[in-house]
Amino acid sequence: MHTNEHTAQIEKFIIPIGPQHPALKEPGHFEFTVDGEIVTHASVRLGYAHRGIEKGVESRNWTQNLYLLERVCGICSHVHATAYCLGVEKLAGVEAPPRAQAIRELVAELERIHSHYLWLGVTAHEAGFDTLFMYTWRDRETVMDILEAISGNRVHYSANILGGVKFDLGEKEAQTIRQGLSFLEERTHHYLEVVSQDALFLQRTRGIGVMTLAQAETIGVIGPTARASGLARDVRLDDPYAAYDRFPVPIILDDRGDLSARVVVRLKELLASIETIRHILDDLPPGELTVRVPRKIKPGEAISRVEAPRGELFYFIKSNGSEMPERIHIRTPTLCNMASVLTLAVGHHLADMPMLLAGIDPCFSCNDRGIVVQYGGDDHDHWTWERLRQFGIDHYKQLESGVF
Amino acid sequence: MKLATLLKDVWQSLWRRPATEAYPLVKPETSARFRGQLHYNSQGCTGCCLCNKDCPANAIEMITLDKKNKRFVLRYDMDQCIYCGQCVQNCRFSCLSMSPEEWELAAAGKEPFTVYYGQEEDVKDVLAKFTPEDHPEAAPR
Amino acid sequence: MTQLIHLLFFPGGLFLLALGMGYEWLDRKLLARLQNRQGPRWFQPLADTVKLLSKEEIIPQGANPWLFIFLPVVALAGTLTAALYVPLFGLPPAHSLPGDLILTIYLLSLLTLGTGLAGANTPNRFSLVGATRTLTQLFAYEAPFLMALLGPAIVAGSWQISIINDFAGRNWLIVTQFVGFLVAVIGLMGKLELPPFDAPEAETEIVSGALTEYSGRGYALFRLAKNVELVVGLTLVASFYLGGLANPLAFILKTGALLLIIVGVQTLLTRLRLDQTVGLWWRYGALLVLAQWLMIVLAKII
Repeated sequence: MHTNEHTAQIEKFIIPIGPQHPALKEPGHFEFTVDGEIVTHASVRLGYAHRGIEKGVESRNWTQNLYLLERVCGICSHVHATAYCLGVEKLAGVEAPPRAQAIRELVAELERIHSHYLWLGVTAHEAGFDTLFMYTWRDRETVMDILEAISGNRVHYSANILGGVKFDLGEKEAQTIRQGLSFLEERTHHYLEVVSQDALFLQRTRGIGVMTLAQAETIGVIGPTARASGLARDVRLDDPYAAYDRFPVPIILDDRGDLSARVVVRLKELLASIETIRHILDDLPPGELTVRVPRKIKPGEAISRVEAPRGELFYFIKSNGSEMPERIHIRTPTLCNMASVLTLAVGHHLADMPMLLAGIDPCFSCNDRGIVVQYGGDDHDHWTWERLRQFGIDHYKQLESGVF
Repeated sequence: MKLATLLKDVWQSLWRRPATEAYPLVKPETSARFRGQLHYNSQGCTGCCLCNKDCPANAIEMITLDKKNKRFVLRYDMDQCIYCGQCVQNCRFSCLSMSPEEWELAAAGKEPFTVYYGQEEDVKDVLAKFTPEDHPEAAPR
Repeated sequence: MTQLIHLLFFPGGLFLLALGMGYEWLDRKLLARLQNRQGPRWFQPLADTVKLLSKEEIIPQGANPWLFIFLPVVALAGTLTAALYVPLFGLPPAHSLPGDLILTIYLLSLLTLGTGLAGANTPNRFSLVGATRTLTQLFAYEAPFLMALLGPAIVAGSWQISIINDFAGRNWLIVTQFVGFLVAVIGLMGKLELPPFDAPEAETEIVSGALTEYSGRGYALFRLAKNVELVVGLTLVASFYLGGLANPLAFILKTGALLLIIVGVQTLLTRLRLDQTVGLWWRYGALLVLAQWLMIVLAKII
């Protein structure tokens, strides 16, 4: 009996996915133990794209940090800046004017459109439906062009500054946005039809990775992944920020909880976003774009939550009264959703893994935060900043002296 | 449940030109708000250095030759610039602007990326202060 | 002397390889255009091959080096030999013997077999999974594909490709044996591991399947073998079902049309999971062809 168990241990067949793998657009390491094609166990190791942003924040002033934090994520750059600005404004005791808040919401919704379109393409690619991937990414150019037209850049819009936004929207820009949106609305309806009717695509999505409402609550998923399981979690409604109390978005829920539901929820959210943007354009509040924010922020702590395209984004900001923040902590939605992949993977085919993974819309470099160094066996050690620095210095000294 | 839901799109694509942009051959139009290369006009500058202070990438250095006579030179490192536009936002005298046309900024070396803005004689004075040996990156071209 | 020219230059050997690359380009270009992309330039397959041939071949540790080098050669040799028995370019087959249809089909299977063994030979996990999938898929499509090609053979009363080709020139068998045509086309796609039957080399799951460890010469040979197999497979299906191949023009038009259909199917469908592929073949493909077979046999008896 004992020997049998032992051989079973040895013969475990593990498929490693990552850190470099065509299914992953960013580095992450997954190990799927398989029995034939069926996955029996899954584990993940994150942290390959740790960039030390939280530490870097502590040596830059409040304005410079805006741009550093915008670069936490290339896809949801605006929500990071918005979360940071709202937090800092809360600490400074000022509030951005209503027009600025409305523009913030507008850019955030445009960004959601571009993010969800990107995601749809990636999912289609993981499913082996490259035609859909090519078409969605072609149509996504429309929203990228809109964002470039109103902000001046396709990816890092830099719309926010502390205390407001940088640019205004005139009649001309509103016209550009409306035109682009009507095209996108038509395409989104079409894609919604494709993903909910195409027999072969449904074969790969319907009933795959079903997460029940109870499971979703236990695992603690957020964003569209939670909403596809019927869990009504949306910071835009639960705790309205920016102009979301004035221009609310409808919540999109689906109770099926499978991959297909996640696709449908995201596509319906696109339609909701398009509608919301139209409301904002129709009813843009007049007034100033910025208020003055002092260079030194009063000491204190603030938290700020916004709804990123992937779910709730959380910022903790601590000021000690100087020109630079004392500590900023970021928690991105991917981290919360990652556990669901590992839970749902068991019992599914290996071929479903990339799609399950894509189903939560993972963004690895965003979620890679703290550093845990593992050396030898299972000895985990949390290194202090000084120790890490000393390690680096010693390492390079050794390199220089040619010991290696 | 249908098979081949994208049939119509595929059929249309067969008769359409590819969506791919012929970029190096045809330069695409950028929007009027596009943030390209930074430009500086020393007229009107008071030398407050706010642009320099808030630059997240340390791409700007304001060199003050003579504050009374308003002789300022701005050294701009294009390769460090992240084109965020904060300096333009900070300048209260509209001395800074970002060009929507100049964005094809690539070169084989680092040298073409350092640009000095200011009155001609001021720039000359600044460059004269650096000998090329000390600051190879600042050598006049 | 003429035999040597036949073997090395036309219609076998170099010409066949060039034709294979031409069809690969056509496949890639059409696929790209249907997806609204630019697609490769005409010499891209040649450039790929030249580049791969000039690269260093890395033999992974733990693999049998002889098998590693030998398998691509066997695969290419198999497909090139298969080309001798089909009416390539609309010309009569270079060799013809009774029962060469079966021989051709099994020579074509050498590529799949070679790929599977190559995957099993390397210790890479993606290769192993890929090899399993390749061989599983082989068992799924091989029987229906064979039965689909035997349909015309039964009607023509011969298992010799040239005779079936002549018979098909007089009767368009796509009209009378439509099911067989469908199964043959889809079987060919399964054989070539084209989407949606590309589970054995699904890049988002198992990188490059059985050939993950191949680089350089071995990979180039496998690619060439696949291109040749594409040509041979198209020739077979076109000559059996699309009214025979009597001259080069008919060859180009008919195989081109067939390729267009295959590309269309590639664009429109999502990749099937392996269990779905196997299910599709045995549940529908095999049974339908079998039903058609029975009808043909009954019609012949009556």
